[in-house]
Amino acid sequence: MIINFKGNETYIGTGGRSLDSNKSTICFLHGSGQNHLSFVQQARFFAFKGYSVIVPDMPGHGFSKGEPLKSIKDNANWVYELLVELEVQKLVVVGHSQGCLVGLELNRLYPEFLKGIIFVAGSNEIPVNQFLLDLAKEDSQKASKMMVTWGHGIDGDMSTNNWPGHSHYGEGNNIMNMNSADALQHDLHSCNNYSDGVEASKKINIPSLAILAKNDQMTPLKSGLKFVDLIKNCETHILDCGHFLQSERPKELNSIINSYLTKLQ
Amino acid sequence: MSENYKFDTLSLHAGHIPDKETGSRAVPIYQTTSYVFKSTEEAASLYNMEVGGHLYTRISNPTVAALEQRLAALEGGASALACSSGMAAMHLVVTAICSSGDHIVASSKMYGANINLLQHTMPRFGINTDFVNPNDPEAIENAIKPNTKLVFGEVIGNPGLDIMDVPTIAEICKRKNVPLVLDATFNTPYLMQPFKHGANIVVHSLTKWLGGHGIAIGGAVVNGGNFDWGDKEKYPTISGPHFALGGISFWEEFGPSALIAKIRAEGMYNFGPSLSPTNAFHLMQGIETLPLRMKKHIENTHSILDFLSNHEAVAWVKHPDLDTHPDHEVAKKILPKGSGSIIVFGIKGGRKAGQVFIESVQLASHLANVGDAKTLLIHPGSTTHSHLSADAMKEGGLTDDMIRLSVGLEDVNDIKKDFEKGFKAVKKLNK
Repeated sequence: MIINFKGNETYIGTGGRSLDSNKSTICFLHGSGQNHLSFVQQARFFAFKGYSVIVPDMPGHGFSKGEPLKSIKDNANWVYELLVELEVQKLVVVGHSQGCLVGLELNRLYPEFLKGIIFVAGSNEIPVNQFLLDLAKEDSQKASKMMVTWGHGIDGDMSTNNWPGHSHYGEGNNIMNMNSADALQHDLHSCNNYSDGVEASKKINIPSLAILAKNDQMTPLKSGLKFVDLIKNCETHILDCGHFLQSERPKELNSIINSYLTKLQ
Repeated sequence: MSENYKFDTLSLHAGHIPDKETGSRAVPIYQTTSYVFKSTEEAASLYNMEVGGHLYTRISNPTVAALEQRLAALEGGASALACSSGMAAMHLVVTAICSSGDHIVASSKMYGANINLLQHTMPRFGINTDFVNPNDPEAIENAIKPNTKLVFGEVIGNPGLDIMDVPTIAEICKRKNVPLVLDATFNTPYLMQPFKHGANIVVHSLTKWLGGHGIAIGGAVVNGGNFDWGDKEKYPTISGPHFALGGISFWEEFGPSALIAKIRAEGMYNFGPSLSPTNAFHLMQGIETLPLRMKKHIENTHSILDFLSNHEAVAWVKHPDLDTHPDHEVAKKILPKGSGSIIVFGIKGGRKAGQVFIESVQLASHLANVGDAKTLLIHPGSTTHSHLSADAMKEGGLTDDMIRLSVGLEDVNDIKKDFEKGFKAVKKLNK
C-alpha cells in the first residue's frame, strides 16, 4: 500500500493481506540498497500465517519517494514515526544486514517499543571499504552488481533457486536498480559511520534471535558471532548460504522465525 | 563462492547443484505430475505464492526449473519460464500483457507463425497489430499509440535475415514506456544477449540452436526484470489486482520477476502449455555444448558463404555478415561474433532449379526445421510457398529461386561436396 508519510509517497508491503491491529505485527527492515522485495518470501508467508506484516521501502528505495536517509539514527527515527503513524505497538522487528543496525538503534532509542527483535545476517557494526563507498557514489549500478555477486553463496553462482526459474543475480541487480541512484551510497555511509552498535547490543533485554550465514561475505560470520555474544541470551542459528538468506534459504529461515514467534506468544 | 562464472561454465552448470541425497551429476528427470505436500500448511503456502516450490508440473517442475534457471543465467535475466514451444512462449507473453482493445507494434519481416498469430488470431480477441519495417526506427516510433502494450521483433529475422537495431529500438521503447519483446532464437545468448542492449523480454524457440539436435520441441520466456510495470492504467494485468490470489499485484509483490510470476499464475495455470521434464532434460543437454556448437556453426557458415558467393551456379547470397547485406553495419555492432548460421541464396534457373537442387543433395536434409547440428535445407518455392506465383512471393519478400540453408556442424568440405552434386544437377537442367 502507498501512504503519504512525512510529505512523501511511501510504499509499505503487507504480504498481500491488509494491516490488522488485532493481530501480532512483524516489521521487516531491508538492507543497504535493497527494498521490500528482498523479503518477498517472508512477507507473504507470515501475512498468510496470521500476522500483520509491514515491509516499508525506506525513502528513495523501491516504490518510496523522498531523499534517502543519511544515518542509522535517521533510519531508526523514521521507522519509529512510521510505526506510530500506523498505530502499531509491541511488535517484532526483523532486520536484514543494514536493517539489523536500524533495528538495534530503534530498540536503543525507544526501549519499550519492541516485543522482540530478529537479526538476519546481522552485526553490531558494518564497516564498508573505501573502494565500495567511492564506487557507490560514482557508479551505483556497478557497485550494486558487485554487492549482489559477493552477497550470494553457491546458489547465486550456480543460478539454483528455490523459486522456479528465478535468478538470484538477475533479480538482485534489478531490485537494487529500482532505487534512486544515491540511495546506495547513503546506505553504505550510514552503515560505515554507525558506532553505537556495542552499546545498543548490550542494551537488548527483549527476546532476540539471530540467523547468520556460513558463507556471508558482506557481514562475515565471525563478526556476527561476536555480535551475538554481546546480546544476553540471543538464540542463534547458522545456515549454509551467503548473505541473502531470505532468498537463498527461505524455507529454513521462515521456519526458524516461525518457531521463535510461536515461543514469543 | 561468488565466482561470477562465465558463459561457457554457466552453459554446463547453471540451474543445478548435485543433490546431497543421490549425488546425481546430471540434472535428474523428475518425471512426475505432482508433489507430495508435507502438510496442509505447506500446500497452502505454495498455492498462495508465499514461497517458491512445486505443486503441479503444469505450473513448474524441478527439471524444467533447472532449464529455466540456466536460461535466466545465460541471458542475464531476472527469471525465465520454459514452455512447450517457441510459439507458446510468444502467446504467453502477448496474453500476459495485452487485453482486448490493446495494440502491438511488430516487425513486418518475421517468421510466418509469429505474423499469423498477431495478424489473424489475436484480432479475434480484440488485440490488433501494426506491422512496420524493423529497420525503420522512425516508423516504429510513429506506430506506437497510447494503447500499445509491446513492441515485438526478431533480432535476426526469419527467413529474410533482417537485423533489428536493438539499442536504437530499445531507446525508443524506453522513452515511450513500452516493453521491447524480442525473439532471439536465431542468435541465442551466445551470439548476443538482448538485455545488455536494452530489450526487456526475450522469447526463444529452444527447439533450434539452444537445444541444437532436432530432438525436442520447447520454448521459453526470459524476463529482463528491467521494465517498470508501475503504470496501473497502462499495465493493469501486471500491476493491477489479479483475479485470484486475493487480488495480488504481481508488480508490487514480485518486482523484477512480475511478468514470469503472472505467466506462471495465469498462462501456465489456465492455458497449460507446459514443457515435459524429459524434453527439458534433452534441451539442457544441448545447451551444455551451445558455446562449442555456435562457434563451429559460425565457422562453417563463413566458409560456406565464401563457397556460395564465388559459385557460378549461385545467383545471389544473403547473410548479415556479408558487406552486401543492407544491415551489415548493424550486425557488426550487435552481433560481433557472427550473425547466425542461416544463409539464404538463389540458384540460377528459378523455381525448377531450386527444386532440382534440393532433390539432388544427399547429406543436407530437406525439412522444415533450423538450428540442428546437421545441415538442413528448404526451398520455399517448391514447398511452403509452392501455391504462390513468383510475383506473389516477391511481395512477401521471398523469391522463387530462394533456398534457406541452416548450416550444420559437419566437416565443411563434405557440405560443399554435397552441394556440388546439387549444382551439377541444376547445370544439366539449365542446359
